[in-house]
Order: sequence, then C-alpha cells, then structure tokens
Amino acid sequence: MSLWVDKHRPRDLMKLDYHKDQAIRLKSLVQQSDFPHLLVYGPSGAGKKTRIMCLLRELYGSGAERLRQETMHFTTPSNKKIEIMTVSSNYHIEVNPTDVGIHDRVVIMDLVKNVAQTHQIDSSGQREFKVVILNEVDDLTKDAQHALRRTMEKYVATCRLILIANSISRVIPAIRSRCLTIRVPAPTESEIANVLHIVCKKEGLSLPTELAMRIAKSSDRNLRRALLMCEASKVQQYPFTADQKVPEPDWQIFIKDTARMALSEQSPKKLGEVRQKLYELIIHGIPPDIIFAGLLKELVRNCDMSMKCQIASHAAQFEHRMRLGNKPIFHLEAFVAKFMAIYKKFMEDSLGDVF
Amino acid sequence: MGDYPDPDEEYELMYSDELELLRDMDGNTESNPIRKKLQTAKRSLDFSSPVAKKIVSNERRNSNTASNNSTDGSFSLTPSLQHLDDILPSSNGPNKRTVEDLFGDINDIDFDNIQLPSKKQKTEEECDMELIDKIIEGRRQRQLLTEPSARGIVNTGPNYVVKENLTTSVPKWPFIPLKNSNGDRIYVRLVCEDLWEDSLDKVTNQLSLQTTYASVWEEARKIIEAKKQETESTELSHETGIKDNVVDELWVEKYRPKSYVDLLSEEPVNRALLHWLHLWDKVVFKKDVKTKEPHQRIAFSKRTGQFQMSNNWKGKKENEPELDEDGRPHHKVALLCGPPGVGKTTLAHLLARLAGYRPVEINASDERSTEAFQTALQSATLMQSVLDAERRPNCLILDEIDGAPIQTVELLVKWCTASAKKEEGKKKNKTQPLKRPVIAICNDLYATSLRPLRLVSLIVSVGSTSAARLAARLTRVSRAEHVRVTARALGALAARARGDVRTALHLLAFLKARDRETINVEDVENAAIGTKDSTTSMMQALQAIFTINDSEPTSILKTIQAAGEYDRIVEGIFENYLTARVDSRLLIACETTTWLRLYDIVSSWTQRTQNYSLYSLLPLCIARCHSLLASRQQLKVKFPMQAQEMSRRRAELESAVAAVRAARVDVSRRALRLDLLPLLPYVLSPTLRSANIQLCSETERKSLRACAGAMCDFGLQYSQQRTPEGLYAFLLEPDVYKVAFFGSEERLRPPPAVRQAIAREQQLEIIRRNENMMNRMCSKNSSSEAKQKTDKQTITKDVKTELPNHLQRLQPKVIEKPTRVSVSFIYTN
Repeated sequence: MSLWVDKHRPRDLMKLDYHKDQAIRLKSLVQQSDFPHLLVYGPSGAGKKTRIMCLLRELYGSGAERLRQETMHFTTPSNKKIEIMTVSSNYHIEVNPTDVGIHDRVVIMDLVKNVAQTHQIDSSGQREFKVVILNEVDDLTKDAQHALRRTMEKYVATCRLILIANSISRVIPAIRSRCLTIRVPAPTESEIANVLHIVCKKEGLSLPTELAMRIAKSSDRNLRRALLMCEASKVQQYPFTADQKVPEPDWQIFIKDTARMALSEQSPKKLGEVRQKLYELIIHGIPPDIIFAGLLKELVRNCDMSMKCQIASHAAQFEHRMRLGNKPIFHLEAFVAKFMAIYKKFMEDSLGDVF
Repeated sequence: MGDYPDPDEEYELMYSDELELLRDMDGNTESNPIRKKLQTAKRSLDFSSPVAKKIVSNERRNSNTASNNSTDGSFSLTPSLQHLDDILPSSNGPNKRTVEDLFGDINDIDFDNIQLPSKKQKTEEECDMELIDKIIEGRRQRQLLTEPSARGIVNTGPNYVVKENLTTSVPKWPFIPLKNSNGDRIYVRLVCEDLWEDSLDKVTNQLSLQTTYASVWEEARKIIEAKKQETESTELSHETGIKDNVVDELWVEKYRPKSYVDLLSEEPVNRALLHWLHLWDKVVFKKDVKTKEPHQRIAFSKRTGQFQMSNNWKGKKENEPELDEDGRPHHKVALLCGPPGVGKTTLAHLLARLAGYRPVEINASDERSTEAFQTALQSATLMQSVLDAERRPNCLILDEIDGAPIQTVELLVKWCTASAKKEEGKKKNKTQPLKRPVIAICNDLYATSLRPLRLVSLIVSVGSTSAARLAARLTRVSRAEHVRVTARALGALAARARGDVRTALHLLAFLKARDRETINVEDVENAAIGTKDSTTSMMQALQAIFTINDSEPTSILKTIQAAGEYDRIVEGIFENYLTARVDSRLLIACETTTWLRLYDIVSSWTQRTQNYSLYSLLPLCIARCHSLLASRQQLKVKFPMQAQEMSRRRAELESAVAAVRAARVDVSRRALRLDLLPLLPYVLSPTLRSANIQLCSETERKSLRACAGAMCDFGLQYSQQRTPEGLYAFLLEPDVYKVAFFGSEERLRPPPAVRQAIAREQQLEIIRRNENMMNRMCSKNSSSEAKQKTDKQTITKDVKTELPNHLQRLQPKVIEKPTRVSVSFIYTN
C-alpha cells in the first residue's frame, strides 16, 4: 500500500486523529461481550471505513487484517448468473451489493445466510459471531432492504452486520431501528490540516501551514481527497511553497465551467452547449446528484439574493424528480433551462428598471 | 418522324422479349391439342345449333308444302344422303375419305363421353368401322340432347320408315298400289286411321314452333329464377356466416394474379425483378435447354443492355457490369422489400414461374436454424425436382427473411458470395457457387439481421399500390363477385387500405357479407374494422411532432401511437427541441423539459413496478410537446444519436473503472470515481530529470517507487503496444487518465521515457512484493513451529515439507535470501 491514504491509515481505535470520544465509546462497546448491528453513516471521506476496520481489529486482533479477495457466484430466481467481488478475512466478509444493480436482493439473502449458517471454526477466537460489512446501503433497492430486515434478526446469534451508508435518509426505518446508528461526521478543516501535517511528518516532508489549510479548504472536508491532493501536489512540486497550485479533481473544474457557461449567456444555443458538457460529466460516471450540487453551488454564488432561494428550491425539486426517473440528463438540462429562464427574466427586469 | 419509331412500335421493340414470353406462356397453357379442339367444338356447337335448327325446320316446312304430309321426315333425309353421295366421289378418292369428309363437322360430338377404341388390339379397318359406328352413335346422341323436339320423330319413327311404307315389291302389309311418273309400280302402306291421327297430333305438337319457343322461354326464366335464388341464398349465408363461405375460396386467393399483366405492383419493379431473373438464364439454362433458347436469352440480356442506354428506367446501373465472370448476375440475391399486402410473395412466385423456374419457398413457418437452413439451401439450389414433369430448375424464395436469425442470413450471404474460382473449402464438399436465383422477401429492409445481406443483394422495393390501381382491381373483383359497390366507395376503400391489396379485399368481402343492396361510401367509412394498424416510423412521427398539421390537427396522437417507440421519440424531441422555435426567454424550453421529465418519471415508474396503468400517459406527454414545439417551417429533424453515443462511451469508461475496482474492492465505487481516480494520475506522473534511474536523485527514486506501488495497488500496468503509426508506445491499462480528465489528459501523461522507467520500476515492485509475501509466510511458519532452531534450518525444512515435488527446484532461490527475511519482516510490521 503505497498511497498515503492507505499507508498512513490508522489501525487502532486509539490512534485515530479525530472524533476521539467516539473512538473511546466504540472501544468500550466492543469490549463488552456483545454488540448490536451497526449502521455507520457519514459523508464520503469522513473515516467510516477506517473506524470499522479498527473496530474489527479490536474484536478479532490482527487476523482481521489479513484480507483476501474472492469472487462469489449467485444465481437469481430468473436463472441469471451473477458474480460479485468480496473482501474477507477469517472473521468477516465485506461486500458491496450495489455492484450487481437490481439483483442485490439475491446477494444479500444468499450471502448473509451463507455466512450466518456457518459457525466460527476457530472456537478459540474471542467472538462467537462473524461480521458482514455491507457497503453503500443507502443505494440498495427497497427489495434488498426488506430482505435484509428479517435476516438481521434471524441470524443475530451468529453474525453481526455493519452497514455503511452516506446518509440514512434512504435506509428504511425498519433497518434503522434494528441497528445502532453511528454517525461519523466529516472532519473539520483544521482537523484535516492537522492530519496532513502528521502524514507529512511521517513521510519526512515539511508542509507549510497555509498550504495545508488551502488543501483542507478545497478538499470539501473530505479527508481522502485532502490526502490525495497533498500527495499529488507533492509529486508535482516538492519543496512545498505556500502558494503552489493544488491539483483538484478535474470533474469539479468541469462542473464549475459548465455553471459559468450557463451564467455567461442565456439562450437555447448555449443550453445546447451546456447539454454537451452535462453529457460529458455523465459519461465520466459523475453521479448526477453531485452534478446538481456542484452546479447549484456555483450558480448561486453569482446570483442576487432574491434568486438564490428560488433556484435552490428548484434544484431540490428537480433533483428529487431525477431520482424517480431514469434519464438524469433531462432533469439536469431542465434545471439549467429553468435557471436560465429565471436569470434572464431577472436581468431583463433589472435592466428595465434602469432604463 | 422517320428516325423515331412511333410509340407503339417502340413499345413493341422494348418489350418484345416479354411479349414473346407472354405468347410462349399462352401457348403453354393451351398446349394440349385435344383440349383445344374440344374447346372450339363446343364453341361451334353453341353458335351454330340454333341456325341448324332453323334450317331443319325450314326444310320441313318446304317438304310439307311440296309433298304430302305422310312422307315429310323421309324426304328430308333422302335428298341429303343423295347429295352427299354425289359429292364424295368427285372431290376425294373413295379410299382417302377422312372422317370429316364422311360425316361433316364431327366437332359437335362430345368425344369425352365416347370411349375411343384402343387402337393396338384391332386392325385398322376394324378401327375405322368402329370409329364410324361411334361417330354415328355419337351424333345421334347429340341430336337427342340438343334437339329434344326431334325426339318424337325418332321415337315414333318405325311407322314412317321410308323403306317400310313404300316398296316396289308386293309387301306383306295392307297396301295401295300406285304408279309413279316413270311408270314403275310402287306400293304404299295403309295404316289405321286412328293411329294416323294420333301420330299426326304428336308430331304437330312437337313441331309447333310456338310451343318450343314458349317452353324455351319457360326454361330460361326458370334458370334465371334459380340463379337469383342462388345469389340470394349465398348472400343470406354470408350474413349468417354459414359454411358456404368456407367452401368458397378466399378472395385473396381467388383473385391472386395469375399472369404478368395481372400484377398490381409497379411496372418498373416487375421488370427489374424479371430482368434480374433473366440474367440467370446463362448459368441455369445453359445445359438444360439445348435448343435456340439459351442463345436467344443471352442475346436478350445483351440487347437489354443496349436498351438501357436509351431508356433510363434503371438509372445508375448502366455502368455496372451485370454479369460476373461466372456468367452469374452481379447481385446473387434479389431482396424484395415493402409493406405487407402489396404482393411481394405473389410477385416472386409468379415471375419465377414465368422465367421458367420452379419456386421453392422457405418462410418463417419453416425451421430456420443454420443447419436446417443449409440443408434447405443445398437441396433447393443444387438439386432438381424429380417429380416436376417439366424438370424446371428451382428458384429459392426466402419469405419473411427479416425474421430469420442473423446467423442464417450470414450463412446465406456466405453462400452467395462464394465464387466459382475460389475454393474456400466448406470441409467436405468444395463449395459450389450458387447457380440458382434466390429471392429474399422482407418487410423491413433495415432490420439489423439483414445488414450483411443488403450489401450483396439487388434491392427491389415494392411500393404500396396506388389507390387508383387498387380501386380498378377492386372494381373488377366486385363485378366478378356480383357485389354492387359505388365507384366512390371503392375509391374510399382503396384509400383506406393504404395500398394493401389484401386488406382491401378482406374489407370488401366483409362489406359484401352485409345485407345491404349497394355498398356506399358511408359503409366503407363507418366500418369499424379494416382500419389498418398503420406503422409510422419513428422519424416520421418525430417530423410530425415538429410540424403543424393544418388538415388534421388531432392526428398527432395517433401518429405517435402508431410509431410506438416512445423512448426514441422522446430522445428525438430532446435533441431537437432547442432549435424548433424561437425561444429567447427559454420559456418553451422550460415547459418542454417539464413534460419530458414527467415522461421520464412515468416511464421509469412503469418499468420499475411493471404496472402499465399509466402507460397511456406517455403519448400524451409527447403530444403536449408537439403543441409546444410545432411550427410551420420545416425543421430538419436530426436522428437521435446522442443518448446512444453517451451510453456507449460511458460503458467504455465504466469498464476501466470496473477493472480498477477489481483490484481494489474495498474502496466504494463512488469514492473511486470522485476522489481516487481523478487524483491518482497526478501521483502517477512523477517528474524525473532523466530517464536513467541510475542518475536520479534519492527523492526522485522514491517518488518513482511510490508511483509503481500505487500502480500495483490499483492493478494498473504500462503495456507496450504498437500504435497505428508503427511505433511502440507504453499505454496505460486500464486508462485512468481518460476517466479522470475531461479532454486535458494528454497534457498530464508522463513522457514516453518516464513511462518506460515506471514500467520497469513496477516490474521490480511486483517482484519485491511477491518476495515479501513469500518471506512472511515462511517466517511465520518457522516461528510457529520451533523457535530454538535457526531460521535457516526451519526454512529449508519447511520448504521441503510444504512444496510439492514439481516445485522443489525453487528451493535454492528461497534459501539464498535469508538475510532479507528479517529486514522485510521488520519493515512490514
């Protein structure tokens, strides 16, 4: 593991750099003989996975860190063969059911049953249960979530589930109530800067404080991104200078460009050009909700106060509708068109007042 | 004027071959000489018999007036016989008298009913005698049949036989002796008066013209009555749906074109296909037809070549050679395409038969897997029918080919394109080139499975029949079927069928079944059935959406529903709506997208829940867009491509992401896309002052190593590949640069030298990692087994016990690096 993100990932609950109270609580939770299912949620790059791995190490010792990758095969009721990659140790198995799209229900049912029905071989091990880690639970289909809720109770004796989600708003209440929910908030900018300093020290580099703050700011409070940006800027230019260019993910720049385009001119022709850019973003696999958020952020920055509220409410509405539909490009373009219409009307009105 | 042939002549000249062929065909159909004679015989009978009757009756009247009543039948007979005897010796020799000479026109005798003697068993004389007897007999029967009035005479004949009433010798019956003008004595019979009266009555009754006339009238009326009843009853039966209808042929079958002139399809179409069929003649009929025919036909094809110069009904094909080096036509397959019901199958069958082939049809009802198809192809194109009397070659007709699986079509194409020269072997038998014409028929020319076939085939598109032609044909049919239809109704019918002959005929049959007297326009228009479920293409619908239709403003919904593919239509709207109308304030755009969004939500809801209750909303959304976007100016609608293009490119990049993810499953996909992959390329392009690693500084080497490590972590690799320019280049696989950047990736790619260095470093890194792994395993085993023993010993022992025999030669390699064990062990912990 040579990327800083992986190399300097804390492995012990006590060595975490922030949310230390939470770490202590988790440790005490594990030290009791039993613990309930967990639902860990928080924004991307906040350290959910890190905490969970620390927790596993706390539970089973270093054996939980010996990971192997396996491909598992399932057959859907419609006789379709699906396969899914899993990461497992002797004590736990981690899977991302959304990899198989709408067949995630089958994966959850079969996998959890498989794991739960076999007892721990090594009885000398401390715990009687295994752990199943499910990633991106908020993207599971409703079917899969419903399948999960009964299995959670049924096999509670032999396995514990740790669910990871970005937000619990799309996790059905039945699952929420069956789990102990743990929120992992994003680190503050100063916390991020602190972590950057620590990592650079470990690497034997000197990081100017201003640069650390700049990185922290542009990282969107995402520690993973911050570390990657730091490493990237190190590769670009080493002895660090306070005002050196910090590489940003290209898609962020692209979204900003798109928003600027919409601001520069409001016409059907421009809308067509914006559409091409939106297509490009979708092609690169940027989730449409991220595009929505990015656009809104950039558009609102250059708006009059009276418009801001209007545009934000429209964005929320359009984003919600988009989740009901299949073609995000329609909704994205509709939002841009709406913004253009509002903006143009506002401009004309204000110009009309001038004359 | 002199230089140019007048139109008629020119037509003759142009179509002389076809005309000739048509004449041939006519000759063929009436080739049976016996039948021909019979036909003419019947005709002569029909027309001449009343005249003959009249003559007979005239003669009778004359004889009545001339001589006494008693001898009228006998006198009329004797002179004619005498007359015959007078003529015969003068004209022909007595030996050479033919049947006809003897008996006059024998055509009135129905030879079918008379059994002709078998000539083998009897001598010629006997034969002749027998024939004479037969003819006499036959004629008598004929007379009985045709002239019932004469029956009386014949039946009551015995009393009046001439020989028995008049004799020159003294008879045995009562008589009166008389003397004739020559002074010879003759004896006339005396008959009882009662009997005489009786017979006279009978004769007069039967001979009276009035009564016969009346009876004939009666008979005629009866026949007419019966016919009327019959038609009425059939009408009734139509109405009540009695089985009579089933016994009748369907009109579609009944009025299927039976000759070239009957065809309803356009003349150029027919001619194009016929011409193509004739191009095969050189190959097909070369051996079979030894007489002038093949020669003629080759000349024919040459001649048409000349004609093409002056007549441009075939336009572009002038320059193209029509025959390839094997003497086969350039296109091996004719692909007939057109909407259903215009007569493609009929056309193919008819023309194949017309050109002298035996049509062999394979359609969707037959099995069309590749094996079955191959056997069918072979049997149809290589073999010849034994049963067919005229030994005509086969012509393969592949009906409904657009439904065939793509492999089948590919097989057909391969089969067709195999030339005689190239013997690209088909395992056992050397591929025989296709030597028989193949006609494929399809509805949808642009079906994906037909793509390979389209390139090699002559495409003949059969357009839908024009309404006027269809109406004319319908008039003929209705006349033949005694259906009273107004001309306008037929016109409406034809318009309604939209060129589909089949539908039109069915509809006509349906209308006839109703009990109305005449079929009016209203009937046609009010008939709830028979509206053809017309299919408009997606592009037509799209065009309709963007244009205002003044004549039928409400038809847009129907058009959309007819086109069906809502998703594609919506994509088309989405790609075209911005240019449709002047919309500076973007209000129309907002409104349109609102409806498109609604469409999206409804359709995905429908798909998700499989609940189609809201499905009918979808065309309404589209129709609403029409009301927003339609304009009078003609918009050039673009075919919706963007969405497909997008999904294609997306899948491309997706595969790169998936490849990376296969190496790093523990990172969620979202994090990989948003954080890791966009920033990874920066880490992967270290700045080196020189490509030579040995000259690099320590920090540079470190960063190079970090880069290689990252590449190993994410399963990336530089692989050497040949570029189109012929140079070798190191390309990253999977290409994360493409995923990470929006068009600016080339700027950031490391230079080739650095790439090479990275690739080398990565190889080293992989080796290093494997070593680490191996050492860790070994050291662990050693620690668990026995701590007293030295490392060296345990390792050797371990290797000995662990490794299977075939791997034992790896042994020394492991032993050689005992020092590294401790180092790496410490490093990893």
